[in-house]
Amino acid sequence: MNCPIESRDPEMLVALCAGQLDLKTAEALKQHLAACAACRSVAAEQAVVWKALEAWEAPVVSPDFDRRLYRRIDEGARLTWFARFLRSFREMPLRQALPLTATAGLLLMAGFLVQHPIIVAPAAQRQDSVRANQVERTLDDLELLRQFSAAGSASESAHPDAM
Amino acid sequence: MLLAMPLAGIQERPSQDGDRPAAQAPPSSNAIDRWNQMSPEERERELAKLPPARAKQIRQRIQRYNQMHPEEQQALRERYQTFSQLPQEKRQLVRARLREFRQLPAERRPIVHREVEQMRLLPEPQRQARLNSEDFRNRFSADERQIVRDLSTYLPN
Repeated sequence: MNCPIESRDPEMLVALCAGQLDLKTAEALKQHLAACAACRSVAAEQAVVWKALEAWEAPVVSPDFDRRLYRRIDEGARLTWFARFLRSFREMPLRQALPLTATAGLLLMAGFLVQHPIIVAPAAQRQDSVRANQVERTLDDLELLRQFSAAGSASESAHPDAM
Repeated sequence: MLLAMPLAGIQERPSQDGDRPAAQAPPSSNAIDRWNQMSPEERERELAKLPPARAKQIRQRIQRYNQMHPEEQQALRERYQTFSQLPQEKRQLVRARLREFRQLPAERRPIVHREVEQMRLLPEPQRQARLNSEDFRNRFSADERQIVRDLSTYLPN
Protein backbone atom coordinates (compact mmCIF):
# COMPACT_ATOMS: atom_id res chain seq x y z
CA MET A 1 0.00 0.00 0.00
CA ASN A 2 1.20 3.53 -0.79
CA CYS A 3 1.97 5.70 2.21
CA PRO A 4 -1.09 8.00 2.62
CA ILE A 5 1.14 10.87 3.74
CA GLU A 6 3.62 10.51 0.89
CA SER A 7 0.82 10.13 -1.63
CA ARG A 8 -0.89 13.16 -0.07
CA ASP A 9 -4.01 11.26 0.87
CA PRO A 10 -4.24 11.72 4.65
CA GLU A 11 -8.02 11.40 4.37
CA MET A 12 -7.37 7.65 4.33
CA LEU A 13 -6.09 7.86 7.90
CA VAL A 14 -9.11 9.93 8.93
CA ALA A 15 -11.41 7.40 7.30
CA LEU A 16 -9.63 4.55 9.10
CA CYS A 17 -10.18 6.20 12.49
CA ALA A 18 -13.80 6.86 11.57
CA GLY A 19 -14.23 3.19 10.68
CA GLN A 20 -15.29 4.14 7.17
CA LEU A 21 -12.88 1.95 5.25
CA ASP A 22 -13.83 -1.45 3.98
CA LEU A 23 -12.25 -4.37 5.77
CA LYS A 24 -9.62 -5.08 3.12
CA THR A 25 -8.38 -1.49 2.85
CA ALA A 26 -8.45 -1.09 6.63
CA GLU A 27 -6.31 -4.22 7.07
CA ALA A 28 -3.80 -3.06 4.46
CA LEU A 29 -3.59 0.36 6.07
CA LYS A 30 -3.13 -1.13 9.53
CA GLN A 31 -0.22 -3.19 8.19
CA HIS A 32 1.25 -0.02 6.73
CA LEU A 33 0.84 1.75 10.08
CA ALA A 34 2.93 -0.90 11.75
CA ALA A 35 5.84 0.06 9.49
CA CYS A 36 5.30 3.82 9.11
CA ALA A 37 5.86 6.02 12.17
CA ALA A 38 4.56 9.19 10.46
CA CYS A 39 1.23 7.62 9.56
CA ARG A 40 1.03 5.97 12.98
CA SER A 41 1.47 9.36 14.62
CA VAL A 42 -1.23 10.97 12.46
CA ALA A 43 -3.60 8.07 13.12
CA ALA A 44 -2.97 8.33 16.87
CA GLU A 45 -3.69 12.07 16.82
CA GLN A 46 -6.81 11.48 14.77
CA ALA A 47 -7.95 8.85 17.27
CA VAL A 48 -7.64 11.46 20.05
CA VAL A 49 -9.73 13.90 18.00
CA TRP A 50 -12.28 11.19 17.29
CA LYS A 51 -12.53 10.36 20.97
CA ALA A 52 -13.06 14.03 21.83
CA LEU A 53 -15.77 14.27 19.16
CA GLU A 54 -17.42 11.19 20.59
CA ALA A 55 -17.68 12.89 23.95
CA TRP A 56 -18.94 16.17 22.48
CA GLU A 57 -22.65 16.71 22.13
CA ALA A 58 -23.96 19.56 20.04
CA PRO A 59 -26.51 21.64 21.95
CA VAL A 60 -29.96 20.94 20.62
CA VAL A 61 -31.90 23.90 19.26
CA SER A 62 -35.63 23.38 19.49
CA PRO A 63 -37.18 22.82 16.02
CA ASP A 64 -39.57 25.75 16.37
CA PHE A 65 -37.00 28.23 17.72
CA ASP A 66 -37.20 30.58 14.74
CA ARG A 67 -40.98 30.50 14.65
CA ARG A 68 -41.24 31.38 18.34
CA LEU A 69 -38.66 34.14 17.93
CA TYR A 70 -40.53 35.72 15.01
CA ARG A 71 -43.77 35.49 16.92
CA ARG A 72 -42.30 37.25 19.96
CA ILE A 73 -40.86 39.98 17.75
CA ASP A 74 -44.27 40.45 16.15
CA GLU A 75 -46.00 40.51 19.53
CA GLY A 76 -43.49 43.02 20.85
CA ALA A 77 -44.06 45.34 17.91
CA ARG A 78 -47.82 45.20 18.30
CA LEU A 79 -47.67 45.82 22.03
CA THR A 80 -45.61 48.95 21.50
CA TRP A 81 -48.23 50.39 19.17
CA PHE A 82 -50.98 49.54 21.61
CA ALA A 83 -49.14 50.98 24.54
CA ARG A 84 -48.65 54.24 22.68
CA PHE A 85 -52.33 54.51 21.86
CA LEU A 86 -53.40 53.73 25.36
CA ARG A 87 -51.06 56.36 26.78
CA SER A 88 -52.42 59.02 24.40
CA PHE A 89 -56.04 58.44 25.37
CA ARG A 90 -55.60 57.60 29.03
CA GLU A 91 -57.21 60.81 30.29
CA MET A 92 -60.17 60.67 27.89
CA PRO A 93 -63.59 59.27 28.93
CA LEU A 94 -63.96 55.64 27.88
CA ARG A 95 -66.97 56.27 25.59
CA GLN A 96 -64.96 58.67 23.48
CA ALA A 97 -61.65 56.97 23.76
CA LEU A 98 -62.61 53.50 22.61
CA PRO A 99 -64.01 54.26 19.14
CA LEU A 100 -61.31 56.86 18.57
CA THR A 101 -58.61 54.46 19.60
CA ALA A 102 -59.98 51.67 17.46
CA THR A 103 -60.32 53.84 14.37
CA ALA A 104 -56.97 55.52 14.82
CA GLY A 105 -55.36 52.17 15.48
CA LEU A 106 -56.75 50.65 12.33
CA LEU A 107 -55.78 53.65 10.26
CA LEU A 108 -52.29 53.72 11.65
CA MET A 109 -51.86 49.99 11.21
CA ALA A 110 -53.13 50.15 7.65
CA GLY A 111 -50.83 53.07 6.88
CA PHE A 112 -47.89 51.36 8.46
CA LEU A 113 -48.50 48.16 6.56
CA VAL A 114 -48.77 50.01 3.28
CA GLN A 115 -45.45 51.70 3.97
CA HIS A 116 -43.77 48.63 5.48
CA PRO A 117 -45.33 45.47 4.15
CA ILE A 118 -44.79 42.48 6.39
CA ILE A 119 -42.55 40.10 4.59
CA VAL A 120 -43.49 36.54 5.30
CA ALA A 121 -40.54 34.36 4.57
CA PRO A 122 -41.36 31.02 2.98
CA ALA A 123 -41.51 28.17 5.44
CA ALA A 124 -38.28 26.73 4.12
CA GLN A 125 -36.34 29.83 5.06
CA ARG A 126 -37.74 29.89 8.56
CA GLN A 127 -36.25 26.52 9.30
CA ASP A 128 -33.51 26.42 11.88
CA SER A 129 -30.18 26.29 10.23
CA VAL A 130 -28.22 23.12 10.79
CA ARG A 131 -24.48 23.11 11.09
CA ALA A 132 -22.54 21.03 8.62
CA ASN A 133 -20.76 19.06 11.32
CA GLN A 134 -24.14 18.24 12.88
CA VAL A 135 -25.22 16.89 9.50
CA GLU A 136 -22.01 14.91 9.23
CA ARG A 137 -22.51 13.30 12.63
CA THR A 138 -26.10 12.43 11.78
CA LEU A 139 -24.95 10.92 8.49
CA ASP A 140 -22.40 8.83 10.41
CA ASP A 141 -25.08 7.55 12.77
CA LEU A 142 -27.53 6.89 9.95
CA GLU A 143 -24.84 5.03 8.08
CA LEU A 144 -24.04 2.83 11.09
CA LEU A 145 -27.72 2.03 11.58
CA ARG A 146 -28.22 1.41 7.87
CA GLN A 147 -25.27 -0.95 7.65
CA PHE A 148 -26.52 -2.91 10.61
CA SER A 149 -30.00 -3.22 9.13
CA ALA A 150 -28.57 -4.13 5.75
CA ALA A 151 -26.58 -7.00 7.26
CA GLY A 152 -29.85 -8.82 7.73
CA SER A 153 -30.77 -8.64 4.07
CA ALA A 154 -29.15 -9.44 0.77
CA SER A 155 -29.09 -5.74 -0.09
CA GLU A 156 -25.89 -5.13 1.86
CA SER A 157 -23.63 -6.20 -0.94
CA ALA A 158 -25.76 -4.28 -3.43
CA HIS A 159 -25.27 -0.97 -1.60
CA PRO A 160 -21.98 -1.34 0.25
CA ASP A 161 -21.28 2.35 0.46
CA ALA A 162 -24.68 3.97 0.36
CA MET A 163 -24.52 7.34 2.17
CA MET B 1 -62.25 47.51 3.43
CA LEU B 2 -60.24 49.10 6.18
CA LEU B 3 -60.05 45.76 7.92
CA ALA B 4 -58.83 44.11 4.78
CA MET B 5 -55.99 46.56 4.34
CA PRO B 6 -53.59 45.01 6.80
CA LEU B 7 -53.85 41.75 4.92
CA ALA B 8 -52.92 43.53 1.72
CA GLY B 9 -49.65 44.50 3.34
CA ILE B 10 -48.61 40.92 3.92
CA GLN B 11 -46.60 39.65 1.03
CA GLU B 12 -44.98 36.33 0.41
CA ARG B 13 -41.27 36.61 -0.26
CA PRO B 14 -40.43 34.69 -3.40
CA SER B 15 -38.67 31.41 -2.70
CA GLN B 16 -34.95 31.28 -3.46
CA ASP B 17 -35.27 27.61 -4.27
CA GLY B 18 -38.16 27.08 -6.57
CA ASP B 19 -37.68 23.40 -7.24
CA ARG B 20 -37.65 22.43 -3.58
CA PRO B 21 -40.91 21.89 -1.66
CA ALA B 22 -41.36 24.60 0.97
CA ALA B 23 -43.04 22.31 3.46
CA GLN B 24 -41.70 22.55 6.98
CA ALA B 25 -39.86 19.54 8.33
CA PRO B 26 -41.93 17.62 10.88
CA PRO B 27 -40.93 18.12 14.52
CA SER B 28 -39.39 14.63 14.59
CA SER B 29 -37.16 15.40 11.61
CA ASN B 30 -33.45 14.72 11.86
CA ALA B 31 -30.60 17.06 10.99
CA ILE B 32 -30.58 15.86 7.37
CA ASP B 33 -34.27 16.60 6.92
CA ARG B 34 -33.77 20.05 8.40
CA TRP B 35 -30.71 20.54 6.20
CA ASN B 36 -32.81 19.70 3.15
CA GLN B 37 -35.27 22.39 4.22
CA MET B 38 -32.61 25.09 4.29
CA SER B 39 -32.10 27.26 1.24
CA PRO B 40 -29.20 26.36 -1.08
CA GLU B 41 -27.47 29.60 -0.06
CA GLU B 42 -27.66 28.69 3.62
CA ARG B 43 -26.37 25.21 2.94
CA GLU B 44 -23.46 26.49 0.88
CA ARG B 45 -22.65 29.06 3.58
CA GLU B 46 -22.39 26.25 6.10
CA LEU B 47 -20.37 24.01 3.82
CA ALA B 48 -18.00 26.84 3.00
CA LYS B 49 -16.80 26.70 6.61
CA LEU B 50 -15.35 23.25 5.97
CA PRO B 51 -12.37 22.13 3.88
CA PRO B 52 -13.54 21.63 0.26
CA ALA B 53 -12.92 17.88 0.26
CA ARG B 54 -14.99 17.39 3.39
CA ALA B 55 -17.77 19.63 2.08
CA LYS B 56 -17.83 17.63 -1.15
CA GLN B 57 -18.05 14.39 0.80
CA ILE B 58 -21.01 15.71 2.81
CA ARG B 59 -22.79 16.82 -0.38
CA GLN B 60 -22.34 13.34 -1.87
CA ARG B 61 -23.49 11.56 1.28
CA ILE B 62 -26.61 13.72 1.55
CA GLN B 63 -27.33 13.07 -2.10
CA ARG B 64 -27.10 9.32 -1.48
CA TYR B 65 -29.40 9.65 1.53
CA ASN B 66 -31.91 11.62 -0.52
CA GLN B 67 -31.78 9.01 -3.26
CA MET B 68 -32.61 6.14 -0.92
CA HIS B 69 -35.83 4.28 -1.54
CA PRO B 70 -38.56 6.18 0.36
CA GLU B 71 -39.56 3.16 2.43
CA GLU B 72 -35.98 2.38 3.34
CA GLN B 73 -35.36 6.02 4.18
CA GLN B 74 -38.46 6.17 6.37
CA ALA B 75 -37.47 3.01 8.26
CA LEU B 76 -33.99 4.42 8.80
CA ARG B 77 -35.40 7.76 9.89
CA GLU B 78 -37.61 6.07 12.47
CA ARG B 79 -34.76 3.96 13.80
CA TYR B 80 -32.55 7.03 14.03
CA GLN B 81 -35.32 8.94 15.81
CA THR B 82 -35.45 6.31 18.54
CA PHE B 83 -31.66 6.09 18.65
CA SER B 84 -31.32 9.85 19.05
CA GLN B 85 -33.61 9.76 22.08
CA LEU B 86 -31.28 7.42 23.98
CA PRO B 87 -29.20 9.02 26.72
CA GLN B 88 -25.82 10.26 25.48
CA GLU B 89 -23.78 7.45 27.06
CA LYS B 90 -26.09 4.82 25.58
CA ARG B 91 -25.81 6.41 22.15
CA GLN B 92 -22.04 6.27 22.40
CA LEU B 93 -22.17 2.64 23.45
CA VAL B 94 -24.45 1.75 20.53
CA ARG B 95 -22.19 3.66 18.12
CA ALA B 96 -19.14 1.81 19.40
CA ARG B 97 -20.83 -1.58 19.03
CA LEU B 98 -22.13 -0.74 15.55
CA ARG B 99 -18.58 0.19 14.50
CA GLU B 100 -17.31 -3.09 15.91
CA PHE B 101 -20.10 -4.88 14.09
CA ARG B 102 -18.99 -3.21 10.85
CA GLN B 103 -15.46 -4.51 11.38
CA LEU B 104 -16.62 -8.13 11.69
CA PRO B 105 -15.82 -10.44 8.79
CA ALA B 106 -18.53 -10.25 6.14
CA GLU B 107 -19.63 -13.84 6.73
CA ARG B 108 -20.14 -13.23 10.46
CA ARG B 109 -22.22 -10.06 10.16
CA PRO B 110 -25.53 -11.71 9.10
CA ILE B 111 -25.15 -14.32 11.86
CA VAL B 112 -24.53 -11.71 14.55
CA HIS B 113 -27.29 -9.51 13.12
CA ARG B 114 -29.78 -12.38 13.24
CA GLU B 115 -28.84 -13.14 16.84
CA VAL B 116 -29.37 -9.51 17.86
CA GLU B 117 -32.77 -9.40 16.18
CA GLN B 118 -33.84 -12.69 17.77
CA MET B 119 -32.65 -11.60 21.20
CA ARG B 120 -34.62 -8.40 20.96
CA LEU B 121 -37.81 -10.38 20.57
CA LEU B 122 -37.20 -12.39 23.74
CA PRO B 123 -38.64 -11.40 27.12
CA GLU B 124 -35.89 -10.14 29.40
CA PRO B 125 -35.48 -13.31 31.56
CA GLN B 126 -35.19 -15.46 28.45
CA ARG B 127 -32.79 -13.03 26.83
CA GLN B 128 -30.56 -13.17 29.91
CA ALA B 129 -30.74 -16.94 29.93
CA ARG B 130 -29.75 -17.04 26.29
CA LEU B 131 -26.86 -14.60 26.87
CA ASN B 132 -25.56 -16.85 29.65
CA SER B 133 -26.08 -20.10 27.77
CA GLU B 134 -23.35 -22.49 26.73
CA ASP B 135 -24.65 -22.50 23.17
CA PHE B 136 -24.34 -18.72 22.92
CA ARG B 137 -20.77 -18.83 24.27
CA ASN B 138 -19.82 -21.55 21.83
CA ARG B 139 -21.30 -19.88 18.78
CA PHE B 140 -19.92 -16.39 19.25
CA SER B 141 -16.55 -14.88 20.07
CA ALA B 142 -16.16 -12.61 23.10
CA ASP B 143 -16.35 -9.50 20.88
CA GLU B 144 -19.43 -10.79 19.09
CA ARG B 145 -21.11 -11.64 22.39
CA GLN B 146 -20.52 -8.09 23.60
CA ILE B 147 -22.01 -6.71 20.39
CA VAL B 148 -25.07 -8.94 20.71
CA ARG B 149 -25.47 -8.16 24.40
CA ASP B 150 -25.35 -4.37 24.00
CA LEU B 151 -27.22 -4.03 20.73
CA SER B 152 -30.03 -6.32 21.83
CA THR B 153 -30.31 -4.17 24.95
CA TYR B 154 -30.05 -0.67 23.56
CA LEU B 155 -30.45 -0.62 19.79
CA PRO B 156 -33.90 0.69 18.94
CA ASN B 157 -36.29 -1.48 16.99
